[in-house]
Order: sequence, then C-alpha cells, then structure tokens
Amino acid sequence: MKKLWTTFIKDVKLSYSGLYFYIEIGMAAIFLAVMLFVVPENFDKTQTYYAFIEVDEIRDEFDGRVFENDGTRVELFDDREGLEQALSKKRSAVGLHVYMEDSKPVVEFVLQGYEGPEMKQMLKQTVEGGLLAELPTYEDLTTVTVLEPGTERLSDRVSMLPPYLVINVAFMGLFVIAAYVFLDKEEGVIKAFAVTPVKVWHYLASKIMIMAVMGLVTSTLVVVSLVGFKINYLLFFGLILSFNVFGSTLGLLITSFFDSMTKAMGALFLSIFILVFAGFSYFMPSFSPVWIKFLPSYPMFFSFRELFLENGDTGFIIQNILLFLGLSAVLFAYTNLRFKKTLTV
Amino acid sequence: MISVKNLYHSYTHDDVYAVNNVSFEIAKGEVFGFLGPSGAGKSTTQGVLTGLLPLQKGEVTVAGYDMRRRNRQMFNKIGVSFEQSNVYNKLTALENLEFYKKLFDVKTEDPMKLLEIAGLSEVAKHKAGTFSKGMKHRLTFVRSMLNNPELWFLDEPTTGLDPAIGRQIIDIVKQKKSEGTTVFLTTHNMNVADELCDRIAFIIDGEIKLIDSPRNLKLQFGEKLVVVDHIVNGITKREQFSLIDPADMARLNTLISTGQIEMMHTKEATLEEIFIKVTGRGLE
Ligand SMILES: Nc1ncnc2c1ncn2[C@@H]1O[C@H](COP(=O)(O)OP(=O)(O)OP(=O)(O)O)[C@@H](O)[C@H]1O
Ligand SMILES: [Mg+2]
Repeated sequence: MKKLWTTFIKDVKLSYSGLYFYIEIGMAAIFLAVMLFVVPENFDKTQTYYAFIEVDEIRDEFDGRVFENDGTRVELFDDREGLEQALSKKRSAVGLHVYMEDSKPVVEFVLQGYEGPEMKQMLKQTVEGGLLAELPTYEDLTTVTVLEPGTERLSDRVSMLPPYLVINVAFMGLFVIAAYVFLDKEEGVIKAFAVTPVKVWHYLASKIMIMAVMGLVTSTLVVVSLVGFKINYLLFFGLILSFNVFGSTLGLLITSFFDSMTKAMGALFLSIFILVFAGFSYFMPSFSPVWIKFLPSYPMFFSFRELFLENGDTGFIIQNILLFLGLSAVLFAYTNLRFKKTLTV
Repeated sequence: MISVKNLYHSYTHDDVYAVNNVSFEIAKGEVFGFLGPSGAGKSTTQGVLTGLLPLQKGEVTVAGYDMRRRNRQMFNKIGVSFEQSNVYNKLTALENLEFYKKLFDVKTEDPMKLLEIAGLSEVAKHKAGTFSKGMKHRLTFVRSMLNNPELWFLDEPTTGLDPAIGRQIIDIVKQKKSEGTTVFLTTHNMNVADELCDRIAFIIDGEIKLIDSPRNLKLQFGEKLVVVDHIVNGITKREQFSLIDPADMARLNTLISTGQIEMMHTKEATLEEIFIKVTGRGLE
C-alpha cells in the first residue's frame, strides 16, 4: 500500500504538470459558464397555456386562436383530446379546460405531472386573477388533472448535468487514462517502473485514483455551482467514484490490447460512440429500445437524473453505485491479468 | 547468477527469431559482456532476462528466480540501466531517484550521493526534461544503482556519451565489480568490453558465435605480433614481426642480438579484429 501511495503521489505531480488535468478543468469551466450565462434556468421563457374553453363569454374575450402578451401565450383548442395531445408534445406548457357546471364556469388545469405545489398555486392565482376575476359568475371550483401522475421534471439547466457528468467521469476517463498509459510507454518510464518490485496492479490502481480525483474535483465544482447543496452529496460522490472507476478500468482494458495511442484510438472512439447512444434515450424518453438499456451508460444517465430529482429514487442510485463498483472489480482483475503480460511489450 | 538454456524470442511470433537458440551461464561476481553489431539481439536478450519481454521458449533463471514463474521480488536484487534513457521529464533529477527509491524493500542508496556520482548534484532540483541526452543517460544509469543490485544489467552504458563521461561510467562499473556485483553488459564497443569483462559472448543475428575471456580470445585468434623500433643508419625504423611465422621469428632474433633496438613491445590483435575474424562482419 505504501508503494501504491508513492506511485499515486508521483502521478499527481505528473498530472498537474501535464495537459489533461487542465483540459478537464477547462471543460468544467466552459460547461459551467455556458450553463450559467447562456442556458436559462428553463430554455423556454414564455409560459404557454393551451386552452379548451367551452364557455362562450370567456371564449369571446379572445379574438383569434392565439393570444400573446408579455411572457404569456395562450393557444385555443376545439376539444379536450387536441389539448392533451398538444400538451404531451410540449412538456413545458400548461393546459386549461374551462366549462360550465351548474351554470358556473369551472377551470380545470391539465398539468404535466412535474409541477410542484407552489407552481400549482401560482398558476391558479394567475388564471383566477388575470383571466376570470372580472366574471361576476365566477366561483372557485378549480380542479387539477395530471397527465402522468408521479413524474418529476428537471429544470432545463439541471437536466444538462447528467450528460455532462457521464461524459466527464466515464467517457473522458476512458480516453485520458489510455493517454496516460501510452505516454508512460512512449517515454519508456513504464520499463523502468517494471523492473522494480512493485505490483502491476499498483501501477493501474494509481492511474485509476488519479482519474477519480480529477473526476471528483471537476464534477463537484460544477454541481455545487449549479445546484448548491440541495442534493445528497454522499450519493453524488458514490456515483462519481463508481462510474469513474468503471470508465477508467474499461479504458485500461482497451489500452491493454494496443501498443500505441494511434492504434487504440479507433477502439476508444468506438466504445465512446456506443456508450453515447444512451444519451438519446435520456433526451428523448420515447426512444428507448431494449438494447439501449444494456449499455452501461444507460443507468449512468438515469442514476444522475434520480440524484437531481427532488424525490429521486435513492434505492436505484445505491443499487447502481454497487453494481458499477462490482463490475469494475471484475474488469480490473481481468485487466490486471492482461497487463501483467503486456505492460512493457 | 544467470542461466540461459536454448532461449528463442520472436517479436512476430513466428520463426523469425531476434534471439535464436542462445545458451550461457553467468557466475556470481562475473562481468559478462554481450557483444554484437546493431540488431544482433542484445537488447532483446536483456529484455527477456529482466522480464520486460515474455519468455517464449527456453529456460531462464535469473538471481535464483525461474523466469517462467515471475516473482516481482527479484527486482530488489536487480538493477537495470537502459539503452534509451527513460526518466520522468516532468520530475526533477532528485524526485526521479526519490520516487524509485521508495519502490524497493531493501536498503537503498542516498539519491544525492548517486547524483554526485553522476555529476548531477548541481542540477538535482532541475526537471529532467531540461537535461541533455548525456545527463539523462547518467541519471538512468545511477538510478539502476539505487538498490545496490547484486545483479546489474547495463545496456550500452557508454554509447553516445562523450569519452570523459564514458570513462567515469567504466570506472564506476569497475568499482562495483570489485565489490562483487555481477554484471550483464551489452555493448558494441570492444574497448569497453575488453576493459571490463571477465568473459565475452559474440552475438550476431540472434546467435552466439562463441564465448570466452578476452585473454583467451586474443591468444586463440589474435595473431601475436612484436613491434620493434630500431635504428638503421641513424633513422628510426618500425617493423612488425609475427610470433607464428618462423621466418619472422628468425629475423627478430637476429635483430635482438645485433641491431640497435630503441623500443620493442608486443601488440595484441584488438577484440574488434578478432570479432571480424570470427564472424566475418564488423561491429557497426
Ligand atoms: N519491439 C520490436 N518489435 C519488432 N522487432 C524488434 C523489436 N525490437 C527489436 N526488434 C528486432 O529484433 C532484432 C534484435 O534487436 P535488438 O534491439 O535486440 O538488437 P541489439 O543487439 O540490441 O541492437 P543495438 O545494438 O542497435 O541496440 C532486430 O532485428 C530488431 O529489428
Ligand atoms: Mg540494443
């Protein structure tokens, strides 16, 4: 263990005088800047209402089908079905169904399912105050219907975090750790290291530790700046660590089959390319073929999502931390066997 | 200390052998020279002996360890200096040695003392990346002395160095030899081999052509000559006489008994000449 520590300290010295550490820091800084200054909390600034109004007095207030004024846009529909269809396409819109009951107008909100109680209250007040208050016959009979009960939604800004984190800890790790090993091979220092009484796994573990530290530092930096201390950081560190170790170990395994970065590049890019597919499923929930769920990156994206949700599934997160640590251990054992034969060849 | 039996090595895993059926033994305390032209298979042999290359075919025992069942503990007893210097460019000379020092389980040398030996104490705190080729080479060389190795592998220790530095390195090896260190020395410099080695193996195209002590090689293959400077009519004249040729012997005898000899010495064939004679090829 003392030797592992010695090796790790050496790797720390090398990496902070090397390029990749600054690339990751730079990536984190750029991502952060884009998120804070370019991407709004929610991309869509105007609040869209889809309304199906069966009360003629109110219907007549609007001329035309679309009504727009600062920050608000109302679109009218002719039936409830059309309204719900439009809503399921535009997830940030809010639906209104106004009809008469016992000769009084009733407003029913048709919501997406992720809106919090404050949001609901706010909507109710806006609509009551702005649209209906003047109507003498109005009485509070507002009801709320939810399209997909139990779904929460991340803000647009926070929803960019899972992809960033997966790229930063898993994909980058795959690539950077390979670069580190090939650098050692190129400089020949790996040979000098190989003729000392140090175990090969010390060499590998030290590289993984470097990647883990870099991943933890940059990811924490970004996440703290964007969401503050609202999330469970213990679970966060668990996820970062286990995904990072998995990505690095996979990178090492791929590395063990090649003798130069140029030759390994193809395999590295291919694996990253395949892993990225899970991202499509993340951004477009309707695209989720069965095979995509078998990509290790799939649970990565969705574990981070759960982490950032207000009522995220802690069990799912812990399950994945353990799963990836376990997978990494198996992968590491095999990688170590391979490197024992190929480290200096 | 080292036993090699019928060693083969092919980089391409076919029957193109970089090392082809090589066998030799090195006794404890011996300095063994591996001599051959570029591409002969010297570094490949050292690679297999130090575990950097896999043992494909043959039996190899190094410092009591069977190379089929490698045990990393063996490296506590072994020092390896490389043909191409390989130090961490981003660490200082001192950091380089201090890092390696901590990897051994045995008593180690003081890095500063080694830097002094290498003539690098002035630049101990400078990054190795700023060093000249010779400086890096010396750093690589003294690094292999950190664990006071019983068995020392030196791949081309003097090649590409200016003669004064080469001289220093030869002196260090001589010193270690007198302390009982076993040395496996790879070189294509005959003078270095001649000066340091107890025995020499001539290797060419992956095959060992012969193994013997420099003295025996010279006795066996070198044509023994006597060089005589003598004065004829007031002018110094230099002549060579073979000690094998009877006519030459007779003339030399007459000269000794009658002539005015100014200086006389035996001249041995150089190992280089012998190498060419044995292998039919030069060393470069
Ligand atoms: N990594 C490698 N892959 C393929 N072939 C190699 C490799 N290293 C060496 N060879 C080949 O093996 C043969 C022996 O090379 P080796 O380096 O052992 O020679 P050497 O005697 O050390 O030469 P030098 O005096 O130039 O150091 C050469 O034909 C060389 O081209
Ligand atoms: Mg060589």
